[in-house]
Order: sequence, then C-alpha cells, then structure tokens
Amino acid sequence: MPKSLYISRKQELPLKGDSTSLFLQVIISIAVFIFAITLSGVLSVNTMLYNWNRSILGSLTVQIMPVNDTNKEKAAAQTLAHQEKAVEFLQNVDGIIKVTPLTDEQLKQLIQPWLGDGVNLDSLPIPRIIDVKLAPDAEINFVDLAQKLAQTSSQASVDNHKLWLSKLIRFADGLKLIASTVLFLVTIITSGAIFYTTRMSLGLHRNIIEILHIMGAKDTYVAQQYGKRMAFLGFCGGCLGLFFAVPVIFFISSLAVQIEGGIISEASLSFGDWITIFSLPLFSMFIAMLTAYYTVKRTLQKML
Amino acid sequence: MGENTNIIEMHNVGIRYDQGPEILSDIKLGLKKGSFHFLTGKSGAGKTSLLSMMYLAQKPSRGSMSVFGKNINFANRDNLAALRRRIGVVFQDFRLLAHLNAFDNVALPLRVCGMDEREVRKRVTELLNWVELDAHMQDTPDTLSGGEKQRIAIARAVINRPELLLADEPTGNVDNFIAAKLMKLFVELNKLGTTVVIATHSDKLINDFAYPRLHLQNRHLHIIQPAHYSMLREKADA
Repeated sequence: MPKSLYISRKQELPLKGDSTSLFLQVIISIAVFIFAITLSGVLSVNTMLYNWNRSILGSLTVQIMPVNDTNKEKAAAQTLAHQEKAVEFLQNVDGIIKVTPLTDEQLKQLIQPWLGDGVNLDSLPIPRIIDVKLAPDAEINFVDLAQKLAQTSSQASVDNHKLWLSKLIRFADGLKLIASTVLFLVTIITSGAIFYTTRMSLGLHRNIIEILHIMGAKDTYVAQQYGKRMAFLGFCGGCLGLFFAVPVIFFISSLAVQIEGGIISEASLSFGDWITIFSLPLFSMFIAMLTAYYTVKRTLQKML
Repeated sequence: MGENTNIIEMHNVGIRYDQGPEILSDIKLGLKKGSFHFLTGKSGAGKTSLLSMMYLAQKPSRGSMSVFGKNINFANRDNLAALRRRIGVVFQDFRLLAHLNAFDNVALPLRVCGMDEREVRKRVTELLNWVELDAHMQDTPDTLSGGEKQRIAIARAVINRPELLLADEPTGNVDNFIAAKLMKLFVELNKLGTTVVIATHSDKLINDFAYPRLHLQNRHLHIIQPAHYSMLREKADA
C-alpha cells in the first residue's frame, strides 16, 4: 500500500489550537443554559395561558346596581329600566347567544343562603343579575364590552372572571415579553462573542489565510472552515449548557407542582416543549456556524 | 489564449504602500504566453512588489493591469481567486504552513480547487517522489532542511500545472545539483507552455540560461535581451 494512504488530512487553518475555543465553548454553554431556562419559562407561561383560556366558561354575568332614591318604587322602576337597556344592548352583541335576566324568585334563591327566607327584595338594595351565554367561538373583548355596557347603562357592570384573568394574562404576557427580550439578548451577546473571537482568530491566522488566497482559495473556502469549527463548538457548548439546564428546569417544575390548585401549577411543559428545549444545541450550532461564516466573509473583504 | 497573447500586461503601473513614495513607477510590460524571464535588480529594487502584483496579492496603486486577459482593476474577489489558481508561486521564505506536513503543504492548491482526494494523493505522491522527498511526506517544515523546504515550496507551486510560474529566489537555498534539477523542472514546464518568471540575484543562473531579463532599476523596469546582457558583461569584464 502506498505510504501516502496513511496520511490523514489536516485542516489548513489550525483552529482547534485557538485559545479562544474554550472561551467560546463556555460562553455558548452559559448562553444555552440561560436560554433553556428562560425558554422553558416562556413555554410554561404559554401552557398556563392556554389552560386559563380553556377554563373560562362560555358565560358572563352582568350586574345592574340598584338606583339610589328615597322613593323605593321609583328606584325599583329605574333599576328595571337599566336592566332592560342592558338586555337590549347585550342581545345585539356578536358572540352572545342568550341573555337571561334573573327573575325575583331566582334572585331570592341566590341570596337565600345568606339572608334566609321571606326576604322582600323591594326593601333591599339588591342588584339585578343578567345571565349571558356566549357562543363557543366568540371572540369578545370583555374590557371593551364592559365600557360600552357602562355607556348604555350607568348601573351595569360586567362580572366576568375573564376580566380578572385578563389582568393576569396581561401580567403573563409581560413576563413573556421580558423572557423574549432575554432570549434575544442572549442570542445577540453570543453572536457578538462569536463575531469578535472569529475576527481575533482571523487576525491570528492572517498569514495562513494569505497563503490560501494566493493558492486560489475563495473567501467561502476559509469561511467554511470557520463555520465547521464554530458549528462543532456551538453544538458541544449547547449540549453542555443543556446538561446543566435540564435538572434546574425539573427542579423549578417540581416547585410549581407543589403549589396545588394554584395558578402556577398550570404551568407545565408539553412533549413538544421538551423537544424544542432539547433542540437548543442544534440552534446554538446553527447560530455559531452562520455568525462565523458571515463574519469571515465580511472581514476578509476588508482585510485582504 | 493564443501563443502571442500576453499573460500579463501592465500599462503605466505604479505601486506605493500607504502614503509612501512609489516603489515602482510607470511599469510597462507585456509577458508573452510561454515566455521565460529572469527578474533582476538590487535588493529593495521592488522585485517582490512586482511579483506580488503578478500573483495578485496586491493591486497596482495606479495604471492598469491585465492577467490572462482580465483587467484586474475591475475583477471581483471570486474572479481574482479563479485567476490565482492558474498561477504558481515560490516564495523566497517558502511560506509553508508550519502545522501541515510536506504532503498537505504540497496538496494545498489542489484541495483549494476542490480536487478529488484520490487524485490529490496520486499527484502529490508522484511529485514528492520526483523532488526526492517521498521519505519526508509526513514531516512538518520545522524538521526539514532549507533545501528540503525549498523543494516542498516548488512542488506546491507546480502541483497544479500552472500557466504562470513566479519564483522568488527558488535556487537560493539548495546545492548546485538540486538547483540544476529544479531549473530543469522550470525549463520543462516552460516547454510545456508555462510562462515562467524567476526573480534571482544569481549571475550563474542568468549566464547558464539565456533568457531575457526584467531588470528593475530606479523604480523602472527595463527589459534586457540575453545577447545585450552578454555584451554588457563582456564590456564590464574588459
């Protein structure tokens, strides 16, 4: 067998020996660690929001507060008039399929556990109640609905758990926004680190790159070698970061589960979410590879 | 490209580094395909600068220059890379890649072109045998002598069968026997159609081979034919 067959091919650019390799791997590991935990947080909040939305029944309750007047009969009549206005308004809202004002008898039944039998509603400032059924696919903006209803009848207010939940949803959306910003910043910082270490390495290997160019190498030839090396570092760093992140995610999840019946216990990760988290090393690999590749191409145009 | 076409054409070419004075001025040159020239001049005359323009490591500061019929003033980076693949270069200081063994150094131009690895192995092994370095295939440059490095550098320059071969003092570090053998290689390549330019200080080389000289003096290029050179030498001797 010819001697040359034993010769293994070495990369023209000795990137394995770069002192920046370890630094980059650590940076990428930390980035993926933060990314994985933040991403799991975002995905959990998404699940939580989905569960909350699903749990909301297709109904709401409208209260008509009693009109305050010394003439009780007049006050009762005005309250009923407000109720009629509210009913008329609600019947014309898209997505509402049924509007049922509660009768005196039904109201008595409602307050009976607290006030006992034989209550005369006329003598008490009891609000009138309207039960509203929503279509299953109704897309109603409840804040907007409450505002319009208040304009129709000053005594009317929407008593809807979605109104309460919407504040939580807004809070959760805020959390998601913060988390997304963190994810964005982590990606930018990691790309920045790759950008600068790649440029540093290009300066370090300038002589070799000059030789390669004189031999007829295109910029892509050099860029591919950097891309491959950074892809390897990105993948290894990503795996390392994930290795440390997964136990932390499990720990946080177990803490959330311990809050039984609470809002946070709704926050869990689905199988798809776990696939997303476990694909992070691939993501870091692509980010590292593309950043290095385009950094080299851009830098070489200025350098040589 | 026909026999009489110029491989390299320079019109009023000048070169300067940064804001410094011109190293070379008003260079006019038409290097015919298949020609053989020596490039001479005192140290610091600009031989390396002229060669580096020829192998497209730098563009002229002024004037126009064409290589293989392509005006390099308007060539993009990929065009330049394609042109460089047709040029073989031997550097005075070898410029071998220290972390690669002799085989990988010689294989470099072929791999850069994306040649099949089997063909690379075949060609490199053959050439290393020819320059009598087959026993050093796996040795890195730091373990080789100056002469061996020189031969590796020359093998790297010719492995791709270049149309233009530029060599800066290619026989400076080898004994007379190896020098003669290397010159024979250059002459053989030239006979096969390769245009050759050899920068040298060696009078022996210039005397032994009757090729025209591109002589650099006072920033300008003079072309001296062998007969004229012999006459000058005779006058000087007298």
